[in-house]
Amino acid sequence: MARKLRFYEKKRGNRRTGSRTLGSAGEAVFFAVFLLLGCAGLAAVFALLVVPEWRVNHRFVAHHCTVLDKRIGHVENEDGTLYRPEVRIEYEVGGETYRIWTFDVHMAYSSGRDDKETALEPFVVGQQRSCWYNPADPSEAVLVRQASWWIWLVMLVPVSFIVIGGGGFIYRLLHWGKSAEHRAVMAQRVQPHDLFGANGGSSREFPNIPDGADITNSPGTRLKFRLPIAQSPGWVLFGVLLACLFWNGIVAVFVVTAIGSHLEGKPDWMLTLFIIPFVLVGIVLIVLFIRQLLVTTGIGPTLVEISHHPLHPGDRCRLFVSQSGRLKVNSIDLLLVCEEEATYRQGTNTRTETREVHRQDVFRREGFEVHRGLPFEAECELAVPAAAMHSFKADHNEIKWKVVVKGDVAGWPDYERSFPVIVRPGNGRVNA
Amino acid sequence: MNDSAVTIRLDGNGRVYQPGETLSGEYLLESVPPEGVKAIEVSVLWYSEGKGDEDFAVHEFWRSDVEEGDVIHAGRPEPFNTILPRSPLSYEGMILKLRWCVRVRVFPNRGKEIVGQKTFRLGEVPAAGDPTS
Repeated sequence: MARKLRFYEKKRGNRRTGSRTLGSAGEAVFFAVFLLLGCAGLAAVFALLVVPEWRVNHRFVAHHCTVLDKRIGHVENEDGTLYRPEVRIEYEVGGETYRIWTFDVHMAYSSGRDDKETALEPFVVGQQRSCWYNPADPSEAVLVRQASWWIWLVMLVPVSFIVIGGGGFIYRLLHWGKSAEHRAVMAQRVQPHDLFGANGGSSREFPNIPDGADITNSPGTRLKFRLPIAQSPGWVLFGVLLACLFWNGIVAVFVVTAIGSHLEGKPDWMLTLFIIPFVLVGIVLIVLFIRQLLVTTGIGPTLVEISHHPLHPGDRCRLFVSQSGRLKVNSIDLLLVCEEEATYRQGTNTRTETREVHRQDVFRREGFEVHRGLPFEAECELAVPAAAMHSFKADHNEIKWKVVVKGDVAGWPDYERSFPVIVRPGNGRVNA
Repeated sequence: MNDSAVTIRLDGNGRVYQPGETLSGEYLLESVPPEGVKAIEVSVLWYSEGKGDEDFAVHEFWRSDVEEGDVIHAGRPEPFNTILPRSPLSYEGMILKLRWCVRVRVFPNRGKEIVGQKTFRLGEVPAAGDPTS
């Protein structure tokens, strides 16, 4: 017998086969609980902190009193001893004399005795002081009135619960009982196509194809546009350096401890064996950093310019490449590459897989030297395959085209620099 | 997928559609009592398949809702048509596939919703790895 309501089953990423109604109800309950907790918390903050302070500042009546005694009140709890200042005062209202221990409206305990003693210093036994009493209940009075700024900070906690819970609950209600298509249409109407690069910064004319505005905003010196590099070598170097410092910084602590144990004659072999793989990874990172440093500093900038953009299947265009530096180049290759990129969730991790689906040799030159101030320069023709799939970008999937410059330089590590391009569809037909 | 209760027919069935062309057809609800339908949604959409999490976007969407005064003729073919967009084109990649379809979702007064779907090709991009590509 088929189950009517599936509570749990296999799930990968967004794909699930369980009851959508149950899922939506669960989410609605979750956000509703958040909202209720926030409301309850906010009400408590108002009742316990905001209202009493406001009453003291606006409703209590100014009066005078005599200081009879003072002390540091304390309580013990699991965090240690907590303290509060207490002053015994005497005052008369309506012919009746009141003697009470008081200070401020909250009479809250907190850690640290010194600041409480400092707070008590101005109160001298036998001295006349100002006080404020509650006209509705004269037995209630305070010596200190204040507007506590920290109450607003405390309020941030329940308010954030209300915002998250309320927002999520309203979102769930608006989408309740609506199909995936209906929800998508609502989202598409709310979200303008070009806002913040939604749909990959695509234009309305070509949905889900990046408009490539960042590619055509830099004019070239030989050809129409200079293509931006996908990842600046400087940033890659910086990233590798950060990773190297972070990893080796942590590993170094354990290495020092392990070496220390050996020097003291009490070798900690467990720790020593445990850190060996981590040290090896650290060495690999150092090698990567040195390699990237050599590529970044030793091999000069690579420039690629293109005669027109965006590209279309079957297009022919001119490419100009320039390589600076002081190099003995074994070979330099220009390639046109297309990659599929898929992002998926696996458990709590988000993974990205890339698969090259097209690689085309565009240009190759072998055995030449590049001299400082005299960069290698060449122009060639690029023919976009007539059957090429266009560029595509969605939240989890992407088809990317790029011009790749691949260099094999004598005495230096090989390098590869990518320059993204956009391929738009022709008219949908293939001129094979 | 074409649920037995929903039949979708596209004009020029099986042919490849080109961007900017009009996609037209009709859907028919079978073995569904007319008074038993609360609402019907017809969508023309693309969706992804493959390694990555699913992406999809709706190109055209129509909803008929009895509560909003719409009349639903369950036993009668209902036509639809739309001008197809310029992208994304249908694609058979290695880890990514893009498919276009017409999806009809029927919300009965009682029981689970019924979904019928008919895929079609937009554009003629060969599969990745195809020698013609």
